Amino acid sequence: MKKSSKSIFLFLCVAPSFLLFLVFMMIPTFNIFRMSLYKWGGYSPDKTFVGFDNFVKLSKDMKFFQSFENTIFLIVIVSLITFTMALVFAAILTRENLIGQNFFRVVFYIPNILSIVIISAIFSAILDSKNGLLNSILNLFRDQNAEPVYWLGDQKIVIYSIAMAMIWQAVGYYMVMYMASMASVPESVYESASLEGAGKIYQFFHLTIPLIWTNIRTTLTFFIISNINLSFTIVKAMTGGGPDGSTEVFLSYMYKQAYTNSSYGYGMAIGVVVFLFSFALSGIVSFVTKREPIEL
Amino acid sequence: MKKIIAMLLVGTIGLTTLTGCTSKATKEAATTESAVDETSKEVQTPAEEKTQEAEAVTIKVAAIETAYGAEMWTKVCDAFTAKTGIKVELTTDKSLEDVIGAQMKAGDYPDVVHLATGRPAALTETLIKENGLEDITDVLSMTVPGEEKKVSDKIAGGFTESSLTNPYNDGKTYMAPMFYSPCGLFFNSALFEEKGWSVPATWDEMWELGEKAKAENIALFAYPTAGYFDAFFYALLYEAGGTEFFTKATNYEEGIWDSPEAVQVFDIIEKLSAYTEKSVPSNANNDNYLKNQQLILDNKALFMPNGTWVIGEMKDAPRADGFSWGFTALPAIADGKDAYSYTWFEQMWVPAAAENKDAAKQFVAYMYSDEAAGIFAEAGAVQPITGFAEQLDGDNKLFYSIYDNGAKAALGSFAATDPVEGVNFADTVFGTVNSLVSGDKTKQEWIDSIKKDSDLLRAALK
Repeated sequence: MKKSSKSIFLFLCVAPSFLLFLVFMMIPTFNIFRMSLYKWGGYSPDKTFVGFDNFVKLSKDMKFFQSFENTIFLIVIVSLITFTMALVFAAILTRENLIGQNFFRVVFYIPNILSIVIISAIFSAILDSKNGLLNSILNLFRDQNAEPVYWLGDQKIVIYSIAMAMIWQAVGYYMVMYMASMASVPESVYESASLEGAGKIYQFFHLTIPLIWTNIRTTLTFFIISNINLSFTIVKAMTGGGPDGSTEVFLSYMYKQAYTNSSYGYGMAIGVVVFLFSFALSGIVSFVTKREPIEL
Repeated sequence: MKKIIAMLLVGTIGLTTLTGCTSKATKEAATTESAVDETSKEVQTPAEEKTQEAEAVTIKVAAIETAYGAEMWTKVCDAFTAKTGIKVELTTDKSLEDVIGAQMKAGDYPDVVHLATGRPAALTETLIKENGLEDITDVLSMTVPGEEKKVSDKIAGGFTESSLTNPYNDGKTYMAPMFYSPCGLFFNSALFEEKGWSVPATWDEMWELGEKAKAENIALFAYPTAGYFDAFFYALLYEAGGTEFFTKATNYEEGIWDSPEAVQVFDIIEKLSAYTEKSVPSNANNDNYLKNQQLILDNKALFMPNGTWVIGEMKDAPRADGFSWGFTALPAIADGKDAYSYTWFEQMWVPAAAENKDAAKQFVAYMYSDEAAGIFAEAGAVQPITGFAEQLDGDNKLFYSIYDNGAKAALGSFAATDPVEGVNFADTVFGTVNSLVSGDKTKQEWIDSIKKDSDLLRAALK
């Protein structure tokens, strides 16, 4: 009797959130998969079932591949640089006795609480070709009359400009996460390592990183998901996918097809590819980085 | 005791989850009740006058809020209700698609929508492609509410004949023309006076001016975003080959992009992109395009393609001493040929799924009354009514008289097709200009992609 009343209680506890999860996560996801098999503009009642036609077309769409390429580029470059910087800064701020430690902590974290639109506006000003901060600094070292660098206009470098903004935005967040787990590593471990003659860099690679490995693994998945989402908002606000589609990413291209091009079904097919891609990538990353957790 | 409290808490959470659903249901029930009330009232007084009967009708009007502001819509709707007795439930928003789009997906359609084509969310285009618009040809033969004249007598010539109002080219009108604006090249006329330059009448003169300006470190050309090439490109098509060529080109006729007229158009745009200020592509997006427009105000570039709304858009921007707006049609291809200025206008339409179509059509007809046009004009929006532009004053008088000064009006756009996945023709034709300026694509690559997409769209023509 007691046991069954407990399970009813548990059921009631879980039910509301499960219901929400079902209605707002499962059903829409299922719908994306269903809609990707239709040719539909989004508003009319007539949907035409086309099977895997949308996916066949997608496999020949060069603009989609360009957005794919840009997304992967951003995931790799942004994750790598953010990861390295966040880890190094976190180690310095937790292990070293710096003056103004808390000040740096706040400064690094601030970009994360700014809205993406503000970040885009800041970077548009920094990267402005005529009187932007970056070009003004560059001009100190080169001929004043030389052609300025078009950070947002030159199609070969504009994607790096986007990456720059994304890294600046993300470093603080991951730094705080790594700092939290580094703080839980007991001081005695470092002390004994020092007595054994291990230097700071050796300690960083052989003590700090292995001991916070579980945390690093979790953040790697975050990197993939947040890069896909964040690149859309930053691109939308900074370049609108331009110039001439050179900064188009997964989601901005999906939006363009689903709405601007009235191909809702096709947009959903892109959504399915994005879903499967991020799912698979997270799976692979998680598998590759699997280690036995170290216990002290 | 603890358990009871816990149970209660869980119950509350459960109920809160469902609140969203319940409140909506109650609201609906309430509306139905009041609707029933109104019908019973009607039954009780069947012999009432027509206007009285119409009072039971409420139409839902959704209008985009643009540079003209939302206030004029409130005023027009009030005036319409006063005139006809039909009540209006007005929705205005800067991103109207976000507001009505979701409702429409749920089957709740407005009766009248004022939303132009060419917006990123492309709601109007989607409905055209999906046959979601009501045929409003009969509005043209309706009498304007409160006046004697028919709608067709009031709308200026040509406006209801282009693909922007008759998207399927079947002689039927699906969208009513609203708020027109001549598009052309804007410049600083004070700078021209100061330097002693004259406004070029042909493209050859334009290139000469380009060299002169270059010597003074001024670029010949700048554009806000590549999307502004639509009006420019259409006018150029007219200049190169007249109406017939324009129709063929905008209907993706086979081989049209290899014709000598098309080659001329491509050559001009390629040459113009070489004369374009190099920083333009960096700012050619929806968030930074004002920096490109600023180039004209700062005398860093001579011409930019734009519409009359630019004056209001840049009214608070800093500018060169003595700056004064100048406006001209596109230069002609050669001496003695016609110069064209594209007429950009917005559209009003009735969704096919609207409930009160008759009342909605009356509302559309009312838009062409002198009263409504007067209210719109106060906010700067000019209705395409015959002879109306003569009453304008100030800067607007100069702009709207462009067609009286020899320039011909170019109207129309690319023909509607079924959606073709992965093909966005505006991006292919206009967006690529950014790559021409930055040198990332050649003219031939541009033409090849236009031809490729054109072939795909031809097969999907409505």
